Amino acid sequence: MEKQRKKKLSLIIKDNWQLYVLILPAVIYFIVFNYLPMYGIQIAFRDYKAVSGIQGSPWVGLKHFQNFFDAYYFKRLLSNTLLLNLYSLLCSFPIPLILAILLNQIKNPARKKFIQTSIYVPYFISTVVLAGMLYIFLSPTNGIFNTLRQTLGMKPVDFMSSASAFRPIYIISGIWQSAGWGTILYIASLAGVDTSLYEAAEIDGASILQKIRYIDIPSLLPVAGMVFIMDCGKLLSSNTDKALVLQTPGNIPTSDIIGVYVYNVGLGSGQFSYTAAIGIFINIINFVLILSVNKLSKKVSNVSMF
Amino acid sequence: MEKEVKRKRKSSASNKAFHIFNAIFWIIVMFIILYPLYLVVIASISNPDAIYRGEVIWRPIEFSIRGYKAVFAYKELISSYGNSIFYTVTSVIISIWVTMSAGYALSRPTFPGKKIFNFMFIFTMFFGGGLIPTFLVMRDLGLYNTRAIMILMGCVSVWNVMVARTYIQNSIPHELYEAAVLDGASHFDYFFKCVIPLSKSIIAVLVVYYGVSKWNDYFTGLVYLKGRELLPLQTVLREILATLQLDKSGDYMMSVTENAASLTEAMRTANVAKYCIIVIATGPVVLLYALLQKYFEKGVMIGSLKG
Repeated sequence: MEKQRKKKLSLIIKDNWQLYVLILPAVIYFIVFNYLPMYGIQIAFRDYKAVSGIQGSPWVGLKHFQNFFDAYYFKRLLSNTLLLNLYSLLCSFPIPLILAILLNQIKNPARKKFIQTSIYVPYFISTVVLAGMLYIFLSPTNGIFNTLRQTLGMKPVDFMSSASAFRPIYIISGIWQSAGWGTILYIASLAGVDTSLYEAAEIDGASILQKIRYIDIPSLLPVAGMVFIMDCGKLLSSNTDKALVLQTPGNIPTSDIIGVYVYNVGLGSGQFSYTAAIGIFINIINFVLILSVNKLSKKVSNVSMF
Repeated sequence: MEKEVKRKRKSSASNKAFHIFNAIFWIIVMFIILYPLYLVVIASISNPDAIYRGEVIWRPIEFSIRGYKAVFAYKELISSYGNSIFYTVTSVIISIWVTMSAGYALSRPTFPGKKIFNFMFIFTMFFGGGLIPTFLVMRDLGLYNTRAIMILMGCVSVWNVMVARTYIQNSIPHELYEAAVLDGASHFDYFFKCVIPLSKSIIAVLVVYYGVSKWNDYFTGLVYLKGRELLPLQTVLREILATLQLDKSGDYMMSVTENAASLTEAMRTANVAKYCIIVIATGPVVLLYALLQKYFEKGVMIGSLKG
């Protein structure tokens, strides 16, 4: 019996060894860049000292977690992160849907192609360049936005240093950058809709709005549901790199989010163990979030990822 | 019958109104998307003083390449540009190789262990070490402050592996595989001689995905590099663009001031140079997208459907 199984195993390997060779580089990559760092998570439960290394540092249990929960800025960081992502999700989520539905109504192929090609372009612009453009356009001395305000008789505002402007700037620039890109999935699913549905609707005298209401929107819902679930899983992770470049001394009250804090305190001041603990905390919450949204949507609409 | 006609007429009127609304909507959207980009380009070739006076709005004013001259005089920017090209090209080659071969293996229905590998890859999308543990592990592995980390970090994305797998599964006919096997082809033969040549459009899409994310990444350079000679373009740009505090971009200002008559002129040139930098930094990416655009639509659709 045992011998037979061994023989079978060696046969499987013999037949498929080339496939294992092909997948090997990817496996090595994920081990080194994803699974080894997971092993590094243990420093969150230790007091990391560079001389003793990851394994030699003493265990301290949940001390770092406790410190974080007790810190006076804990509430601020958490609410800043949650609010930024929540507003961002609610504002950005519907826009690609609307764009895709309206783009689908443009019948001239050349025009459609032109629009489609151009709305993807902002996605290729880097975070740094996007931030640079914002700094330039919103500059209080010679930015185009404030020039416009002045011609309308308003006072120039230093938007980049204003705490109340940080969230709108972050969200609107995010929509500008990725709403067009977000249409790809929806356009693909609209292209997959059975054309006989539209023909039947036309014979019945349905207007465009009715076709959108009764054909387009229902056929987009499953995909949109998936996208929403995925986005909910990121409620606490957010674009650290974007917030980091948009952060100025003036907007810290709203721009101080968990990711930026981890970067500043972890790498800036070398508090590795403490910030690793914060990282795990975020990770766990995100994981729970995505599982619960998934479960909820399974119950409500039968859409789920797993 | 009459009712029917009436209803049709009514719906065609409302359809007309819809089309007018839609046209206006898209004109506005196109303006919002394209105008900022257009403004950057025209400002980059305008006279710095005209920009300062706020005159550059619809077209370039007093054509000038002072900004570009200032940018090219800044040595560190040019060397970081070279670094970025090197990191991006090598990284994309590795990315395509690893992604396509993993995507192929996972697309074989009879691949034993497929489920385990799938799980192993997808799990990383939902759970990871986080910034600090990753940083410490990379440092322990001796990858801190090396070119290797700049090339390897993020060079395989689970999402892209799944896109490649879906593409190979759905767009390359299974009969082709059976015929190849009958001819005595191994997986290697089939992969290199059939799958790769038939996957041009998905490879084009992957080149754009990986290339753009590598070219645009400033964060890896910020976290993992210490030596300035290794810095990629975006990390250097961050110091120049995303800070209004000029002391932070001291070297940059120095190199501008050297070529200017007065401090005001230097300030204004530095200001216009920001537009030029944006053009130079974004140009290659947009060019890459434009070049591969014809493969793009098809590849993205097929890869993402049922992704």
